[in-house]
Amino acid sequence: MAIMNSKKLHPMRLILGVLLFLIAFSVSARGVYQSNQDFLDETFEQVVPKSKVIWVKGDVRQTLSELLGHPYQGMRVRYWQQQAKSVWVLDEIGKTEAITFGIVIVANKIDSMKVLAFRESRGGEIRYPAFTQQFNGAQLQGQQLDRHIDGVSGATLSVRAMTSVAEVALYLDNIINQ
Amino acid sequence: MNRKIRRLHRSMGAFIAIFVLMLASTGIALNHSDDLDLDKRYLSWNWLLQHYGVTQLKADVAYSLSSHTVSQFGSQVFLNSIPITQSSTPILGGIMLDELMVLATQDALLLFSQQGEFIERMDSTVGIPIMVQKIALLDNDVVIQTTNGFWHSDSTLENWQPLSTNEISWSESNVIPDAVDQQIQLYFYDRGISIERVILDLHNGHIFGRYGVWLTDFWGVFLIFISLSGLWMWGRRLV
Repeated sequence: MAIMNSKKLHPMRLILGVLLFLIAFSVSARGVYQSNQDFLDETFEQVVPKSKVIWVKGDVRQTLSELLGHPYQGMRVRYWQQQAKSVWVLDEIGKTEAITFGIVIVANKIDSMKVLAFRESRGGEIRYPAFTQQFNGAQLQGQQLDRHIDGVSGATLSVRAMTSVAEVALYLDNIINQ
Repeated sequence: MNRKIRRLHRSMGAFIAIFVLMLASTGIALNHSDDLDLDKRYLSWNWLLQHYGVTQLKADVAYSLSSHTVSQFGSQVFLNSIPITQSSTPILGGIMLDELMVLATQDALLLFSQQGEFIERMDSTVGIPIMVQKIALLDNDVVIQTTNGFWHSDSTLENWQPLSTNEISWSESNVIPDAVDQQIQLYFYDRGISIERVILDLHNGHIFGRYGVWLTDFWGVFLIFISLSGLWMWGRRLV
């Protein structure tokens, strides 16, 4: 009987196990999934063009502030362009930490969007292709995306950050193509 | 019995008079905290700051750039006393380049205007050599020392070439000027401890730490005894 009891799963052990799993899961959400350089190498098939910059001044600064909901941190944004393709690596705060996004735009539409680095403790689900592919083909309609992006439970701020960054990249792409 | 209690009541009354005075005066002050702006007035006596565990912070690194001082406290980077950016990696040096201020970290160069406005973070994706150790200015070229040797670039910071020379005056960490240091301490500790906080802690005994709370309890028990003994004596007199 004593042996039988020792094999029973004690409720405290179960709770501890679940807690450890949750901690491990939340920790695993953080990290650099792809370096900026690897993202560029992959996008341009190892032949990365020379980067260019767009200065964030006047109307551009004003629009970025409206899209992000706060002033843009920085006075210039760097991008890589090859024919109709432009590539952007942008940071945006989710809740408290910066999330790094890689955005590929072709002919004024998002070709693909990736989470390159996620530093928040929650909301890392936005990196999964099932979520990111919602952005594929998106373009600007006014100052907003032409489609609704389905949220992820527990990742509201991360989703908002990703949507804002997509709009910023599309807006800047329009500027450089004017 | 009556005489014993009366004597005890009298001696205990004198004993806790100081405590009652402090409790009453601090209580009245707290009651009028808003009117007296006690939460907006601050004390910055050194012994008080030390008592509250507010000790002097020291800069991790500080660099003199032209007439400015760049310093780093943890992840917070200051230009003079203005917080300009956060950097999780140490600032390894800095230079003034035309209209720009360039700070070096291990994996990136951080660009600012001379007023401290953040411009851009340049890393290996735009050709900055990795594993930076030091930065310097040499004949209007920017020079960095990495684990792979010396590199130099023109002011665009995009054309890095290997360099072979040892005659470089590197940006080295320096002592932060006192005036700047004092202003930065204000950034971290505001203006000190609010008078309201000190009075509240005097009132509840927290100013003396854990023992202060016990001491306040002790005085409280005395007060209860005095109240009860006073009532008892008053009752006896009526009888």
